[in-house]
Amino acid sequence: MTFISRRDLLKRAAVVGAAAVPANAGRPFQGRLNEADGEPERLALRETALHGEAMAPREPLENLTAAEADLVEAIVARLIPTDANGPGATEARAAHYIDRALGGALASSRQTYTSGLAALDKYSRSSRGKPFTELSATDQDSILIDVETGAATGFTGSSAAFFNLVLNHTHQGTFGDPYYGGNANFTGWDLVGYPGIRTMVTAADQQRLEKKDLRSNHKSAYDYEAFTKATAQNRSRRSPHKEGA
Amino acid sequence: MKSAVCAALLAGVTLAAQTAPQKIAVDSPTLRADQTMPRDHTPDGRNISPPLTWSNVPASTKELAVVCEDPDAGNPPPFVHWVIYGIPATAKGLPEAIPIDPAAAMPAEIAGAIQGVSGFRRPIYRGPAPPPGKPHHYHFVVYALDANLNLKPGLTRADLLAAIQGHVIGQGEIVAIYERKAP
Repeated sequence: MTFISRRDLLKRAAVVGAAAVPANAGRPFQGRLNEADGEPERLALRETALHGEAMAPREPLENLTAAEADLVEAIVARLIPTDANGPGATEARAAHYIDRALGGALASSRQTYTSGLAALDKYSRSSRGKPFTELSATDQDSILIDVETGAATGFTGSSAAFFNLVLNHTHQGTFGDPYYGGNANFTGWDLVGYPGIRTMVTAADQQRLEKKDLRSNHKSAYDYEAFTKATAQNRSRRSPHKEGA
Repeated sequence: MKSAVCAALLAGVTLAAQTAPQKIAVDSPTLRADQTMPRDHTPDGRNISPPLTWSNVPASTKELAVVCEDPDAGNPPPFVHWVIYGIPATAKGLPEAIPIDPAAAMPAEIAGAIQGVSGFRRPIYRGPAPPPGKPHHYHFVVYALDANLNLKPGLTRADLLAAIQGHVIGQGEIVAIYERKAP
């Protein structure tokens, strides 16, 4: 099942806009492995990963544990799926965006991810008999619908709140500026026909845009020196302790 | 005078017999009337739609529709768990696990059937998830219709009942219960 139809996706993306990512949503890659924090729920998830099949090498995670990252990857893959119409959140590396941003602009959501992911996996095992990552796409969709509608059990508060949080972050990671770690290779912008950040639009560009014939320049805002300088100046005025908060 | 009154009464009885829907017998390989619904038809299990069977459908039936509703919930009640219509008159029931993918084909025996919008705002079956406290009742109501109404996709229960008004020539139901315990 296409959890979110491509048509709905394009409608939503058009409303949200390609630049709908909070300022400072990401932070520079630090390349450190996440440390165990000893929480039972996280340990349970990690144990699953350790006892699973031999794992392929993966890039270091910044905030999520390996098991949490696998779960987030599986979730975003169903929220904006790769299908006959083109790539989805997997190719856009939305999970990578979420992992990075949980140490920055989305840090306040870190605990919600810890408890929510553990609850989702526990719900998957109790209701469908398997970890979420081992379910068929149809069963994963069924689980996510239950989470979305608040029918899933074991969550702190309504499961719908957790669903909406992850969906929102998946949109950010798919359609936000690639600078923040998602929208890899401008996948999300190409998907919705966004022509890229431009400092100037000529009349001819405007005409091509209206004819949907304006090719993307595949430029991030941070590809422009003026924007990068302005950002650096703004950052220098802030306390370093607030950076990324 | 007496004979005239009798004739009028007989005419009334005949008219009532013609207009009252014929009672359809509804059964299921997995549901038992007034018994707890299996977990697999709820979000505590696989949350797949239950198989239904029916008999004693009027011979003149052109198509059928099914609604699953919970009169113990909803504002206003009932809360709707499933709406499916455009079911061919040849169908003797519904198979288990009707697809939740809108792009997936319907099973051959109910080809052409359409799932309407439930209380969860989705065009698929979603099983009971009542708040803990008391058992809720889930009515699987089958309607036999005297015409092919070419109903469009996206109908809610209210839309469906309005559209089929005056066309229901048979009706029946099976009621199952479900209760969630407090964690």
